[in-house]
Amino acid sequence: MTDGHLFNNISLGGRGGTNPGQLKVFSGGILWKKQGGGKAVEVDKADIMGVTWMKVPRSNQLGVRIKDGLYYKFTGFRDQDVTNLTNFFQNACGITPEDKQLSVSGRNWGEVDLNGNMLTFLVGSKQAFEVSLADVSQTQLQGKNDVILEFHVDDTTGANEKDSLMEISFHIPNSNTQFVGDENRP
Amino acid sequence: GDKNAAVKASTELTAYKNVNDLPPPRDLMIQIDQKNEAVLLPIYGSMVPFHVATIRTVSSQQDTNRTCYIRIIFNVPGTPFNTQDANSLKFPGAIYLKEVSFRSKDPRHISEVVQHIKTLRRHVMARESERAERAT
Repeated sequence: MTDGHLFNNISLGGRGGTNPGQLKVFSGGILWKKQGGGKAVEVDKADIMGVTWMKVPRSNQLGVRIKDGLYYKFTGFRDQDVTNLTNFFQNACGITPEDKQLSVSGRNWGEVDLNGNMLTFLVGSKQAFEVSLADVSQTQLQGKNDVILEFHVDDTTGANEKDSLMEISFHIPNSNTQFVGDENRP
Repeated sequence: GDKNAAVKASTELTAYKNVNDLPPPRDLMIQIDQKNEAVLLPIYGSMVPFHVATIRTVSSQQDTNRTCYIRIIFNVPGTPFNTQDANSLKFPGAIYLKEVSFRSKDPRHISEVVQHIKTLRRHVMARESERAERAT
C-alpha cells in the first residue's frame, strides 16, 4: 500500500478561472502543482479545517478549507476517486469530508452565507456560486437595500477565462432579517 | 387558481434538474444554452446557470482600449412589471442577485451574447404571457 493518491488533470479554481495540474493527497497533507510548473499549493494536514465534496458537471470538486480562512477548490475527480479519497481522508488524516450540493435551477434568489472569507450564494440550500471576499476591492451600499461588491482587476495570476467578473450586487429586501441593521453586510 | 399560477411560475424557472444536464464545460466565458433557456456565467472557475426569465436587462459597453463590459440586471422584487413579485411573497427572507458585470477582451463575443440573451428572453416572455392569457 502506498502512502497517498496521485491525480493528474486536477484543476485549481479561483478568481481568474481554472488551472490544470497534478494533485497529490498523502498522509501529511495535500500538494498541487500547476501543469508546466509555476504555481503550487501545499497544505499541511494540521492546517486543514475541513474538506467537502461537491458534484459538478461531469466531475467532482474537492473543497479544502484551511486555518487562515483560505479555501481551495480542486476539480476533475471521478466518482470512484471520491470514494477512495473519502476513505483515505478518514483513515490517514482523520478528516471526514462533507457533502455539498450544487444548485443548477437557475434561480437568482436564495441566501447568502459568509464563512471565513468566502461568500456563498445558496439557492434552496444548495450552493449556486462562491466568491472570495479577499478579491473584493470595494463594497458599496446603494440605496437602502442593495450591496455592491467590486472585484480587483486581475491581469496577472494566470487568468485564463475569457470573461472576467468585475462586479456583483445583491438586493436584500426589507423582509430579510438575516442582515438587518448592519451597514457592512455582506 | 391563483395559488396554482404561482406554483407554475416557479417551476418554470428551473433551468436544469440535474448537475449533469449542464452543457459540457468549455472555455470559461459567458454561454447561452438555448435549449434549457439558460445563461451560464463564469464565476470563480465554475459555470453558474441562470434561467433567462430571471434576467431583466442586459447591456454592453466598450472602452477606448477595446475592452468590453457586459452588465446583466436580474429581476428583484419591488420593481415595476416584475414577474417575480409572486416569489417575494413565497420566499420572504430571500436575498436576490441583482446585477453582475463582466469584462471581456472579445467585443464580438459580447455583442453576440447580448443579442442572444435578448432574443431568448423575448421568446420566453412571449410564450409565457401567451400561456398566462390562455389560462385566464
